[in-house]
Amino acid sequence: MIEAISLVGQSSGRAGTLMNSSEELIARARRGEDEAFRLIFDRYGRPIISFIYDMVGRRELAEELTQETFVRAYKNLKALRDDTKLSTWLFGIAKNVARESLRRRHRESDKVGIDDDHVIELSDGKLPPDRQLLDKELNGVIRDALGALDEDKRLVFTLKIFQQRSYEEIAEITGSSIPKLKTDLHRARAEMRRRIRPYLGVGYEV
Amino acid sequence: MKCEEYRILIEDYVDRALDQKTASRVTAHTETCAECASFYREMSREQDVYARYQRDVEVTPVLWASIESRIKQERAAQPEGQLGGQVGGMISRLREQLAGVFSAPRLSPAFAAALVIVAIGVTVFVMSRLNSGSPQQIATGNSNAAVIQPDTSNRNSDVAVPAPHTPEERKNDTVALAPEIAAPNTVKVAPPAVNPRNRQPARLTPTQLVRDAEQKYLTAIAMLSRDVNRRRSQLDPMMLARFDASLSEIDRTIRETRHVVRENPEDPIALQYLLAAYSKKVDVLREMTTD
Repeated sequence: MIEAISLVGQSSGRAGTLMNSSEELIARARRGEDEAFRLIFDRYGRPIISFIYDMVGRRELAEELTQETFVRAYKNLKALRDDTKLSTWLFGIAKNVARESLRRRHRESDKVGIDDDHVIELSDGKLPPDRQLLDKELNGVIRDALGALDEDKRLVFTLKIFQQRSYEEIAEITGSSIPKLKTDLHRARAEMRRRIRPYLGVGYEV
Repeated sequence: MKCEEYRILIEDYVDRALDQKTASRVTAHTETCAECASFYREMSREQDVYARYQRDVEVTPVLWASIESRIKQERAAQPEGQLGGQVGGMISRLREQLAGVFSAPRLSPAFAAALVIVAIGVTVFVMSRLNSGSPQQIATGNSNAAVIQPDTSNRNSDVAVPAPHTPEERKNDTVALAPEIAAPNTVKVAPPAVNPRNRQPARLTPTQLVRDAEQKYLTAIAMLSRDVNRRRSQLDPMMLARFDASLSEIDRTIRETRHVVRENPEDPIALQYLLAAYSKKVDVLREMTTD
């Protein structure tokens, strides 16, 4: 086994800094402390990249857009009015970045939908209704079903189901009214259910 | 209230978005309505399925490195006007080159190994310059990293780097690496036909070269980490625990040395430690992928 080397040999105190509140981290980042912004990234990098991946469906693009999200956040830290809403604010930036990217792609090729190269044919009845998929296969089915949703429905579905955001938070992130969000989510759920139902052995009619 | 309306409420119930009174009404209804009870069960099952959803995406050190690089670019561009713009342009070109690495094919123990060769080459070269007492800008000579071999007598890390195994791997490595290899070490004036976007500054500071080497290590580490994650289930649990303990210790060292380097960017000892720490991490990850 390879020995680890040590230059300083002392605890970095990082565990302690992980306990920092978002407000403290924002204040420190505004003062120019790089480590504070790094901690913000440590805390929110994973949910943000997951959210963006769900929106755009491509790993490399999700990484690129996550980078753009955090750079924009850094540049606009002073514009964050309520420091207790860092998470909502970051998701709002990520939503804008993802939507801009999707629109660019739509402009480049009107016929290309979300990740056409990934979307597989999801035809009800192609598989036995009681077939249970391995998680890996199910991941692909969910990803492709997400890609088939329209943008508004995918947005609310991702934020509500995967990111566990409240309707109030989603309304702040998206700028939509709560009744519209509920309608979109209801329809998104129904579409997702229709697409994944053959893989789950669901016994009711939608 | 009709069942259709209850089903909408059941969705809110599953989302825990109902007040206590409405939730009680929904519960009471599902106790008497078999169809809505079935709908509730299926909703719960769907929630379980969505909770298991895993994405093919990770937060890697490379991602933070690229964010950090762009933040520094932004910071440099703000106060200095024209000069900042020039620096920004240089960094932007560097980022374009690095983007080639990030989007390279993912086959890649061999590709990662090749990147490590490049990084080690740069490291050895930089350190020899630093240790020989020439802190000024380094004329990078004709030391094309493609032919730099790891100098095992000059390092505390003996990375055994395999050659690409298959013609396809060799082809991919060559294609992917060509611009990267040329980037940090080009000294000759580019011929007139060269695309201006690929033109490099003739002189790079030790710090820039070290940063370049660091990026390559980070890229290699990210690639090897993906391979390791795929192999985790095949590793002996005891060995895995020991590997993880080593990686944890090395990561701590990297964090600390990075902090020291940030405080003392021209300190050759700190730089040596940082690059050696990356090299150690590559060693461990390679050991995990080949064990």
